[in-house]
Amino acid sequence: MLSVAGLTRRFGDHLALDDVTFDVVPGRMTGFVGANGAGKTTTMRIVLGVLAPTAGQALWNGVPLTHEVRRDFGYMPEERGLYPKMKIRDQLVFFGRLHGLDPVRAEERTDKILDRLGLTERAGDMLETLSLGNQQRVQIAAALVHEPIALVLDEPFSGLDPLAVDAMVDLLREEVTPEVPVLFSSHQLELVERLCDDLVVLSRGKVVAAGPVASLAAGSSTTYRLVTDGDAGWLRDVRGITVRDVDGSSGLFDVTEAGQEQLVLQQAMSRGQVLEFGAERVALSDVFREATR
Amino acid sequence: MSTQQSRTRLQHPWQLVALREISTKLRDKTFIGSTVFMLIVVMAAVIIPALLAGNDSPDKVAVLDDAGARVVQQADLVNGDDSLEVTRVADRAAAERAVTDGDVAVALLPADNGYVVLGDDEVDSGIGNSLREAAVSLGMFANAAKAGLTPEQLQAGTAVQEQLLNPGPLPEIVANFVNIGLALAFYMTALGFGMMIAQSVVQEKESRVVEILAAAIPIRALLWGKVVGNTVMALAQIVVIAAASLIGLLVTGQADILEVIAPVAGWFVVFFVLGFLALAGLWAVAGSLATRQEDLGSTTLPGQMILMVPFFFSVFAGGTAKTVASFVPIASSMAMPGRMLTEDVPLWQPLVAIALLLLATVLIIRLGARLYERTLLQTGRKLGYREALTLEPS
Repeated sequence: MLSVAGLTRRFGDHLALDDVTFDVVPGRMTGFVGANGAGKTTTMRIVLGVLAPTAGQALWNGVPLTHEVRRDFGYMPEERGLYPKMKIRDQLVFFGRLHGLDPVRAEERTDKILDRLGLTERAGDMLETLSLGNQQRVQIAAALVHEPIALVLDEPFSGLDPLAVDAMVDLLREEVTPEVPVLFSSHQLELVERLCDDLVVLSRGKVVAAGPVASLAAGSSTTYRLVTDGDAGWLRDVRGITVRDVDGSSGLFDVTEAGQEQLVLQQAMSRGQVLEFGAERVALSDVFREATR
Repeated sequence: MSTQQSRTRLQHPWQLVALREISTKLRDKTFIGSTVFMLIVVMAAVIIPALLAGNDSPDKVAVLDDAGARVVQQADLVNGDDSLEVTRVADRAAAERAVTDGDVAVALLPADNGYVVLGDDEVDSGIGNSLREAAVSLGMFANAAKAGLTPEQLQAGTAVQEQLLNPGPLPEIVANFVNIGLALAFYMTALGFGMMIAQSVVQEKESRVVEILAAAIPIRALLWGKVVGNTVMALAQIVVIAAASLIGLLVTGQADILEVIAPVAGWFVVFFVLGFLALAGLWAVAGSLATRQEDLGSTTLPGQMILMVPFFFSVFAGGTAKTVASFVPIASSMAMPGRMLTEDVPLWQPLVAIALLLLATVLIIRLGARLYERTLLQTGRKLGYREALTLEPS
């Protein structure tokens, strides 16, 4: 398990991170969200040892991270970049070996990933001759080539079209084994909601929410929607609920007394047909807005 | 965890970085081009003078009779190689024509009390002197024979030999030439490869690949890989060029110069490697201070100065200054091997110079590594040296 404990980082007078603590559980994708300047990149750089913390530390299975362990991590920095004038196959083999693979294994892995990304014919081309989308693929390949024991991806999907995102997600799902913790930051909340199991919300250098996406969303989810074939105005007379909105045959209400939603359903069925009934899912963006308010 | 334990660390990261530097250089057209260019220049410098000397055909001397021909042959004998050739002409008018038309260099004509050497607008002093000497000795031998003396008796007690109290190992002109050559080789290589190191560092900053590298391996390993890779390439380039000039010297029959250079060649290599290493750390720092190629002009200026000032010092300074320079680290790489060529240097001197250079190398590399670690990830803007020294470790 990858954890950060009490991470604090100052840049001069500016407190970029303030006692940040969270876990990234193996086999689960942890989304790392927060406004610009919230401290996501700073946290990731400290985890990778590129930046030193002012206080606190990054841990691997409870032990402070060493260079040796970090060498097995996969990292995709926010500022993308590989060698522009190096052939992509040579480049991936180089990074594989830099991360500790032996030459034979590095070549096997490179060929496999290039094949998976559909870049086999371009293997001998310089990186700079590839389209930006393909360069981005090579970038993620560089983070995956050495079969990392943990993955830290800073905005891995920014700048990709939806199809490319899907291809990248498939690759991640295929490459990341159940013992690998994955931390990735993103601005694209729908994407985070779709992909992530856990969520860490950062605001002005502090963790304001953390936990499984489902429970974070359920925590504030007491709103139900009802759609019938008649007028739904009777909802206003039901006790134990607060009606948010009634519009003709449909209504939206919050449950204030547990179990009252069942009563509403029974009444609705006795009055006519129920076309739709269920808990309103709270969008992650609402969780995010609430947490960072 | 199991995957991590089963991984084998076959190579140190710095070795991988060094290998990448080398293979990149070997594919770099600019690098290959400049090496070939240097090869051509060196070969030209070795071979062309030999060719010019080889084309020197004997000077023709016009004579009227056998006596004149004998003088010319005697002069040729004194000079030792086929430098003069006899051309017979019928009379003085023909001789004058041959001289004016340039068919012969000079004409040797009998006169009342010896000979006249006839030239066009001048008489080459070498030819003039040897003809005069030959005419004098032939004439004196003839006079001596009339007086009953053998040539040996005549010459007894007239031999003059040269002896030197402080013989230098080399003729002065050759020594100076080789001295400048060695200093120039160091200067050019250190400057050329220094710029390449700085460029390779700033390219990694520019392309942002540096963050991945820094996450994968210690920054110090990155620095060492670059320094070692480029030192190996610099030495290889020197060796290739040295081998080419060696072959050139052998082919053109100038091998005797090698005997002179050979004793200091080993010293040169030691001074070269240490001096190069000391500077390589600084060049890497120069690259890490810049954020774009264009910044290199200003961030590499100190490095260029550290090379240029000692270079001119070691080549053009007088004796005492040169002796001082040969002990100052980095300057010593250019001055000491040259001094060992041109004068008798006691053994302790190069040893002390090497000890000082070694000390400086360790200090500079340490300082360089510290600066490099602090500045490498500052991709936002160009930094100055003073600012870099006050940066907190990141």
